[in-house]
Amino acid sequence: MRPGARSRAAGTLAAARAALAGIRSTRMYFFFQVALSGVATGAIYGLIAVGYSLTFMTTKALNFALGMWVMLGGMLTYSLIVLHAFHPLTALPIVVSALFALGIVAERFSVMPFLRAGSDVWVMSTLAVGFLMIDLAEIVWGRSPTPVPPLLGKNPIYIGPAAVLPQQLLIVGAACVTFIALDLFYRRTLLGKAFRAVAHSGETSGLMGINTRRVQAVSYAAATALAGFAGFLVVPLTLAEPQLGTVLGLKAFAIAIIAGLAAPRGILVCGLAYGALEALISGYFYTGIRDILGFSLMIAALFLKPEGLFGKPLEERA
Amino acid sequence: MTGNGHMRVAAAVMAASFWTWAPAQAQEPIKLGFAGALSGPASFVGVEIKRGAEIAIDEINAKGGIGGRKLVLVSRDDEHNPVKTVAQYRELVEREKAVAIVGATNSASMLAVAPIVNDTLNVPVICPATDATAITENDAQKQGRDNYLFRVGMYGTGQANFMVDTMVKKFGHTKVGLLTWTGGWGVTGRGELQRRLRENGLAPVADETFDNNDTDMTPQIIKLKNAGAQSILNYALVRENTFVVQTKEKLRDNTPYVSAWGIAGPAFWKAAGAAGEGVLTSTTVTIDGPQPPERMTFVNEYRRRHNQDMDAAVFAIGAYDAVYLFKAAIERDGVEPQKIRAALENIPEFKGLVKHFTRPVFTRDRHNAVTEEDMVMTRWTNGKMLEVKFDAKGPHVEIDAQTKKYLDRSNMTLL
Repeated sequence: MRPGARSRAAGTLAAARAALAGIRSTRMYFFFQVALSGVATGAIYGLIAVGYSLTFMTTKALNFALGMWVMLGGMLTYSLIVLHAFHPLTALPIVVSALFALGIVAERFSVMPFLRAGSDVWVMSTLAVGFLMIDLAEIVWGRSPTPVPPLLGKNPIYIGPAAVLPQQLLIVGAACVTFIALDLFYRRTLLGKAFRAVAHSGETSGLMGINTRRVQAVSYAAATALAGFAGFLVVPLTLAEPQLGTVLGLKAFAIAIIAGLAAPRGILVCGLAYGALEALISGYFYTGIRDILGFSLMIAALFLKPEGLFGKPLEERA
Repeated sequence: MTGNGHMRVAAAVMAASFWTWAPAQAQEPIKLGFAGALSGPASFVGVEIKRGAEIAIDEINAKGGIGGRKLVLVSRDDEHNPVKTVAQYRELVEREKAVAIVGATNSASMLAVAPIVNDTLNVPVICPATDATAITENDAQKQGRDNYLFRVGMYGTGQANFMVDTMVKKFGHTKVGLLTWTGGWGVTGRGELQRRLRENGLAPVADETFDNNDTDMTPQIIKLKNAGAQSILNYALVRENTFVVQTKEKLRDNTPYVSAWGIAGPAFWKAAGAAGEGVLTSTTVTIDGPQPPERMTFVNEYRRRHNQDMDAAVFAIGAYDAVYLFKAAIERDGVEPQKIRAALENIPEFKGLVKHFTRPVFTRDRHNAVTEEDMVMTRWTNGKMLEVKFDAKGPHVEIDAQTKKYLDRSNMTLL
């Protein structure tokens, strides 16, 4: 970096710091603090939501139980870190690969047979797998919510006057990195290109020599592995308990629909924005109408842009 | 003559049957019933009730039972499902011939069985856990008929009164905020808290809610703070309360936080950890801090039998007291359900584990043993629920040396 550029960067940083320090008035602080905690929640939604898109693009099927897969990731994390004293960095690859493997199995038995038969029963069978996992988790780990220590400690970090937990920042960061990685994967790798080809037309890609079947299985398992990653990250915030992912999965689904199931890049933006919006509605109105306003906005957005805010118009893709 | 002969035969048969019947009666055990969640999410409540009742029954039987008859507990798992509770109550009374029942785990179950218990089953029930006000203040009570439902646990209206009055009258707070859960129990609690504040001539300075999806309560906490709340009253369970105290910790908010008895047990500290320090919780009884000897005996007996501490001591202790109340009633007027019911209204004094009642435990007009005056405010202090005492020194908790060291180290004020 040239010295001039460095001093310019330092200047920008100082300016940003001064701007943040200016958030003294209660009103500005309120807005900033509430929006910030909302963005942190939104990153969780985004991280899970991209899983719906992964599966949908290649198979046109949805894993409706993605929230339960998040739970499974979280409970496994709890099991490894708290019950068996694994280091979090050792636990992470175990959780992600376990969920990938389970995803392959689940796809083979609960989705593929129905897709092959041209039936829509996968809607129910993916959910059935999810409920099965909740019941199993209750038997294995019990019902009472248990804490999992956050990776970077509990002391809040201050951005200006607004506090944010290190774990929340970590999730925002992890979500951004995941989306960038996913973007590179889709554009730069052969498998990624195969994903996109299958998304565009399964039949044609099959004729071009792509193993469509394998791409579908891998995309499904990639989504469950990603859910496991999300579970690993959120469990210190949500407490380990068998219901931790159910509502998160539902909200994430809404985000995936708003952004457009075929628009992974838009999902992050939508997730962060939706989280902030939710928190601000809670902050400026009250919690009771938060979901009413949120889901009304979703319907309105779909009414105006049925393919999702970031989706390409349907004619273009046909 | 023949008539006379018949009479004689009949008399002989009756005498013979009495002769065989009487000793059998003496050995036949007295059956107490229990139907509640012994599986599923609420099973921890049902298990505590069952264990508490069993300890009391074994103690009584070891001393020869009641008038030579042993006590037995017949328990059923209603899976927290009111439909099953109703069926099982019928079965317990009609087939098993239970003469008294220890109440269920679900308020909805008790509300469902209350009219049946009063109108057809006519068997006394003492509830250690369910807190819906209408369980004991039911139609029979209002119409002046015999009411078969009694309670040794919390009751909704009383708890809300206790929480509000403690903060308003004992702490002198005039700016009280509410933070309640939008689930069933939270909604009822919110209404009750609003009513009591109104009766005190106050309105909540902020009336915030949250739902199952809220893991971060930043907007709610800042709004309560900005409204100048001197204390925050809450109705929720362990999970949500953990998110509240975590958010309060993040925002460095130290507004006194008062919870209903949803977190009156070690599960809260297990989930929230040190973030739960200083949270006030209303309850009927706490087993932390200095204890009367009979309560310690019970705590130790529980530990000996199950090799663990109680998850929810209030329920086990309530069930234990319920059994002893039935015993007192049976010893007074006999073992018929109607007589037990009537006798329960006439127990002038009772040394229970919940408390030592020096006044009648129940009266015809009051079927809640624990009234607002008997409820206990506790403060979560280093993992213990210590009773807050209100005397000349002002509100305080008595802490031992070890806890004091902890408090000094974490530099936390007492309230």
